[in-house]
Amino acid sequence: MRRTTLNTRAALTPGLIIIVGFLTVCPVIMLIVGSFSEGLGDFGSFTLRKYAEAYTDPTFAGIIFNTIIFTIGSALVATSLALFLAYLNTRTNIPFKFLFRIISIIPMMIPHILFSVSWVLLLNPSNGLINLFLREIFSLQNSPFNIYTLHGMIMVEGLLDLPIAYLILSPAMAAFDVSFEESSKVCGASNLRTLIRVTLPILRPAILASFILVIVRSLASFAVPSVIGMPGRIYVLATHIYRIIATGFAADYGMAAAVGMSALVASITLIYLYRYLTSESEKYVTISSRGYKPSVVDLKKAKYPLFVIVGILSFVLIVLPVLVLFYTSLVPYSMVPSAKAFSMMSWKHWIEVLRDPISLLSLRNSAFLGIVGASLGVTLSVFVAYVIVKIRTRASGVLESLSFLSFSFPGIVVGVGFMWFFVKTPLYATIWALLIGYIATYLPYGIRPLTSAFVQIHSHLEESSRVCGGGTFYTLRRIVLPLLIPGVVSGWILMATMFVRELTLSVVLSRPGTEVLAVQIFRFSEDGLWGQLSALGIMMIFISTTLVVIASLIGIRLTKVETVSQ
Amino acid sequence: MGISIKGLNKAYFSEGNKIRALADVDLTIPANQIFTLLGPSGCGKTTLLRCIVGLETPDSGEIAIGGETVWSSERGIFVPPEKRGLNMVFQTYAIWPHMNVFDNVAYPLQARKEPKKDIIQKVKKTLQFVQLEGFENRPATKLSGGQQQRVALARALVAEPKVILFDEPLSNLDAKLREETRKELRDFLTTLKITAVYVTHDRVEALALSDLIAVMKDGRIIEIGVPKKIYFDSDHRFVADFIGRANLIDGTVRAVDDSYAIIDSSIGAIACPESPDTSPGNKVSLCIRPEFIRVMADDTPQKRNIFRGKVESLVFVGEAYEGEILIEDTRLFTKIEPTARVEAGDEITLFFDPDHCFVLSK
Repeated sequence: MRRTTLNTRAALTPGLIIIVGFLTVCPVIMLIVGSFSEGLGDFGSFTLRKYAEAYTDPTFAGIIFNTIIFTIGSALVATSLALFLAYLNTRTNIPFKFLFRIISIIPMMIPHILFSVSWVLLLNPSNGLINLFLREIFSLQNSPFNIYTLHGMIMVEGLLDLPIAYLILSPAMAAFDVSFEESSKVCGASNLRTLIRVTLPILRPAILASFILVIVRSLASFAVPSVIGMPGRIYVLATHIYRIIATGFAADYGMAAAVGMSALVASITLIYLYRYLTSESEKYVTISSRGYKPSVVDLKKAKYPLFVIVGILSFVLIVLPVLVLFYTSLVPYSMVPSAKAFSMMSWKHWIEVLRDPISLLSLRNSAFLGIVGASLGVTLSVFVAYVIVKIRTRASGVLESLSFLSFSFPGIVVGVGFMWFFVKTPLYATIWALLIGYIATYLPYGIRPLTSAFVQIHSHLEESSRVCGGGTFYTLRRIVLPLLIPGVVSGWILMATMFVRELTLSVVLSRPGTEVLAVQIFRFSEDGLWGQLSALGIMMIFISTTLVVIASLIGIRLTKVETVSQ
Repeated sequence: MGISIKGLNKAYFSEGNKIRALADVDLTIPANQIFTLLGPSGCGKTTLLRCIVGLETPDSGEIAIGGETVWSSERGIFVPPEKRGLNMVFQTYAIWPHMNVFDNVAYPLQARKEPKKDIIQKVKKTLQFVQLEGFENRPATKLSGGQQQRVALARALVAEPKVILFDEPLSNLDAKLREETRKELRDFLTTLKITAVYVTHDRVEALALSDLIAVMKDGRIIEIGVPKKIYFDSDHRFVADFIGRANLIDGTVRAVDDSYAIIDSSIGAIACPESPDTSPGNKVSLCIRPEFIRVMADDTPQKRNIFRGKVESLVFVGEAYEGEILIEDTRLFTKIEPTARVEAGDEITLFFDPDHCFVLSK
């Protein structure tokens, strides 16, 4: 009995290293091989031709320039907004603090492509709702706003990455040792001076970490550059790669791989910087265990004006996108809400979508990928997290680094790498190719909540069950599983919602027959079919929400079993 | 129920070094007593406890609980912890966070599949015993440190185990609560007439709680005795030093006279009770506790062990002064009553009763 458990345990770590290693390293190796090859399918002899072609392209310098402005701009927008919100929430007496929690979580539920589309619907120069509205009121000749610019891209991407920045900054702000500030005030400094001279400098590692993470995310972003950038002929690395493989006469996967290499290298470098900074910031920010109660700054007269700003932000982030999509799905063409518009509303677009075989197929495929993919992904995550937390050997350290590697890979680059791999296998153009790609890219999302669940299960909790007379399986059933379920549920929810909305990887790997929701929505946007797009988009939100609700209910059910025993 | 341990060995590897956590441990723990394993961290006391309970497997040796062998490397016996019929209170308490107080305490009975009615009754009785009645539905996460400690104790007691083991159960409480709980625990355990094995590195805890103390060092048990013997008359230099403040003085036996030995040392001649180690010419170590060293008043009728020294430092700690007195080049720690008129720099005369000075044999 003991010997067999030892053996399975011993085999677990290398087995997982092989699986996770395949998932994360394989696309990278194939990308490198591909970038030095003649063509997809038949590698041909070693060549540097693709690199030469890719990097001597006269438009390439402009693309790099756009990418830098786009990523840094988005990071600035997201980090400064997040800093503002985190400060207000943790350190001031602003009313309705629950709004901040909503702001930090809900936008993750709205798929990036739909968020981008809703801003196109509001601010595009020809018939954006806000533009139409302002033109009507002030009888203007031209639209005052044009979303199809670098500024527009930066604004939307910045808003999209706000939650990530907030999730990094808010705990750092809350864990901040107030005595630093108090001593500054004792020295006679004002609130503002304390903020600028003490609070912000001490938070600098966290601020930099958030800044870098947003740069990585916007470098990998495809929704905003494709929906907003491409119509305005503003290309960044991600859309440039997409252009190489998806438009023109012949898709050139070798050149895509060569371009992808620079995105990959940049991304990995930034993530290493990020990890370095977060370990630095742990040193920096002192969390004292003596029940710290941050002293609250009284906003006085600024309280309500500041709250209005927060209110507007949450409206813009959460309510507006859904509202715009729903409205657009019901009206026959873009028009400002009016009595006439309401009289012309119909379910026409919805019916069209439900009769469109490709849309139906994409609904089915995405639901399948969400449910099956998340279940498989979470199963793998359970084992990986177990090895990382409970079997602390050098090999499990390798596994840990491997499993978080994919966090730094831009989706479209991973997609190109997987393309080079799948084309050689029978998996090519099947739904399983997408499934493997999804799990590989989003594995960290499953592992994170499960490692924290395992960390929570202190070995004493299992041991005391054994001492109390519970055998191995009894302990597993009554102690380990119930404590693990919250982690499993949140891992599953994260993965399922990511999979249902997945665009970046799918745009490369999806073939006729394996269309998924986000890709179909992207096609609708390319064709300007905003009505159908909105209808399908609302269905997409509905599917993710349903999955979230079902998973949460199952989670509550499973944990309840424990407490009814009395 | 007693525990007998024979030739227990356990080694593990840490960064390429072999560390012997247990080295040929032979030990008999008598039934219905509070038995304490005391030692500095890393001495192997927790490993020994975990081997008794079955959470760790020794490399070789034999463990029997109440006559039943639960581990034997030679005969290939390993009884898993859940079948050893004992229970344990962990250092972290290990209260399951997803259950309420009732389910935490009822767990050992539920694992044995006892009828629900009995379970409810027994849990109620046990919670009453640890003074937590009415806490049944409190979630485990809503308990204070002291309450968690009681829940852990209740859970350990509820199934009436033969032996109960404690792994530094008071080390997570703050000083005041620790003192109160120590007293309570002593009361609980003496009322119950149960065999308790208690692991701690806190000497005061060991002295206050135990019937018997075993002092461990480097994986070995070096001395076993009742608290007073360990404190006043330990055999080992290490034990004498570990259990309390001690003045350890080396010297040579000059003569034995009238059941007292006279020892030449760096502070002069010291008289101490005669013992097998005090044949003239022997080199010995003496131990004198600071609280027995007194400042000499004029009318004290004392002939032996009188020394003159200079007060080097004097710290007021409330119930006494802690002083360091320099005699020749030897420093003696003393406790001086707070009313004494002594100041740093003074020349004073000290004495101590020869009966309070003991020879360390090892």
